[in-house]
Amino acid sequence: MSASQAATSVSPAADEPSRLANASTFLVVGVLFTAITAAGAMFADGHRLAMSWLMAVVFWIAVSLGALVMVLLHHIFDAGWSTVIRRPLEHWIGVFPLLAGLFAPLVLLSLFGQHDLLWKWMDHEAVAGDILWVKKSAFLNPTAFVVFNILFFGAWIWVAGRLRKHSFAQDDDGSVEHTLANRKTAAFGIPLTALTLTFAAFYWLMSLEYHWFSTIYGVWFFATGMKAALALTVLICLYLVRKGVFVGIFQTGHLLNLGNILLAFTVFWAYISFSQYFLIYNANVPEETFWYNLRELNLASGERNSWWDVGLLLLFGNFFLPFFFFLGNANKKKPARMVAICVWILLIAFVDIAFNALPSIKQANGDAIPFGVTVFDVTALVGIGALCFWSFFRSFARTRCIPIRDPRIVESLHCHE
Amino acid sequence: MSKNLYGLIARFETPASVMHAAEKVRDSGYTRWDVITPFPIHGMDAAMGLKRSRVPRFTLAGGITGFTLGMLMIWWMGAVDYPLIVGGKPYFSPIFAFPISYELTILLSAFGTIAGMFILNRLPIHYHPVLKADMAARATDDGFFIVIEKDDPKFSVEKSRSLLEEAGAVEIGELED
Repeated sequence: MSASQAATSVSPAADEPSRLANASTFLVVGVLFTAITAAGAMFADGHRLAMSWLMAVVFWIAVSLGALVMVLLHHIFDAGWSTVIRRPLEHWIGVFPLLAGLFAPLVLLSLFGQHDLLWKWMDHEAVAGDILWVKKSAFLNPTAFVVFNILFFGAWIWVAGRLRKHSFAQDDDGSVEHTLANRKTAAFGIPLTALTLTFAAFYWLMSLEYHWFSTIYGVWFFATGMKAALALTVLICLYLVRKGVFVGIFQTGHLLNLGNILLAFTVFWAYISFSQYFLIYNANVPEETFWYNLRELNLASGERNSWWDVGLLLLFGNFFLPFFFFLGNANKKKPARMVAICVWILLIAFVDIAFNALPSIKQANGDAIPFGVTVFDVTALVGIGALCFWSFFRSFARTRCIPIRDPRIVESLHCHE
Repeated sequence: MSKNLYGLIARFETPASVMHAAEKVRDSGYTRWDVITPFPIHGMDAAMGLKRSRVPRFTLAGGITGFTLGMLMIWWMGAVDYPLIVGGKPYFSPIFAFPISYELTILLSAFGTIAGMFILNRLPIHYHPVLKADMAARATDDGFFIVIEKDDPKFSVEKSRSLLEEAGAVEIGELED
């Protein structure tokens, strides 16, 4: 250890393992809950169970992509204030190989098992006579699906790996070259991440209803992921303060700034979601409106179904509530209130994913299945989340808790309101 | 000169000394006073005991007015003044009134912000007694100043002067109105 490192009062997180939650606890919980979910195949309907897994893994991927984009944005703007909160995010984005492994079973089961498990277009023979599939078959076919998925995860693992490698290496040698290298990574990483997450959203969620199309869909996926990732960042940072790791490091100014970005993305989510709805509503073309009809009406009876209520919940719970909360300056400086709203944002982000994914499963008469949470929705969400936290805490224990030799670390430590 | 006295001006050498002096003036209970520095000093708002700006209230008022106006305008035009069916839609729905309401929310929020700023800071001021003091010229270079106005209820030439001296002023002058 060099003299300058020894002189500092910030010790590596590895020196104080007892303060934080034990990573292996999360591993046990994660394995147990994912195993319970997988065992559900013996009792539950295959489509619905696979959907539980898809929603959970896509939720955590959205969160992780939001974290990845936060780190990229930090570098591209040469931001100062966010240097200390960048480190927990860097630990989080080491999760992509794990998420690739957790996503793979869905792809393999669709390819080699039940083709229409989730994505009906995977069952070529069933959709061969459907002109709307034939016209899209260059994109919606198993080969392209596999290749693209390898590209998606490959890109995220690669970009996240570069960011992590340079940031952690800078702790040791203090070279500014690492900062510059990460700025370059951000320059190509942002368009690369934007394109890959857009097409991932097309494949994973939009193609569940493969007749439907919305070019803004990737932006919606990004907005949801960013919001959830920012909420998770607040929770992790406040947890680290509570455990003493971030005391004197994570300031009220950081919390206020995160609250302000959350306000921006709350508005952004509403803007994108409304734009998508509004354009489809205004154009009134049946190829597009059926997607919203499914989420409002039982087609046979014309009565409102449970998705109408979920839609209103999203409007008020995912927009108006956080919007008015974050408008109040005092709210954003109070840790207890921020914890409450961030937990809510994470929950409602999952409901948002469910609103997009779940109605693709139909009842016998063609109506969407009603909104409902199964045991396996919960076990998949908790299990995969616990595995993500296992990855996070394992990574966290290996490095210093802040990028101590980053050129902008002092600026960040003095981030006041 | 004292007949037209406006207040006292005191020069300090460093940002730190003017900041500590500001804390002393604040703690002595003065309300009509100001600090003049060549550049913004971090933490000065707290040292002066300044509260958070009230501009956001004007912004909010502007935003609510804009949103309401937008909704009323589309409702009145489409459902009252000249009812016309467009694209099979109802005469009025908040959905298609939303974009224009949203734009007006932003526009009137911006107007409210700018108007609120000018109302609260009372700019433009074409004349200010501080401009007449020769030493105040250094406020654009290397001088850090505190001005206490005569109108302050706690003002007294002797006491205020001694307070500023104790606070570390290197030069004190009287301002003519």
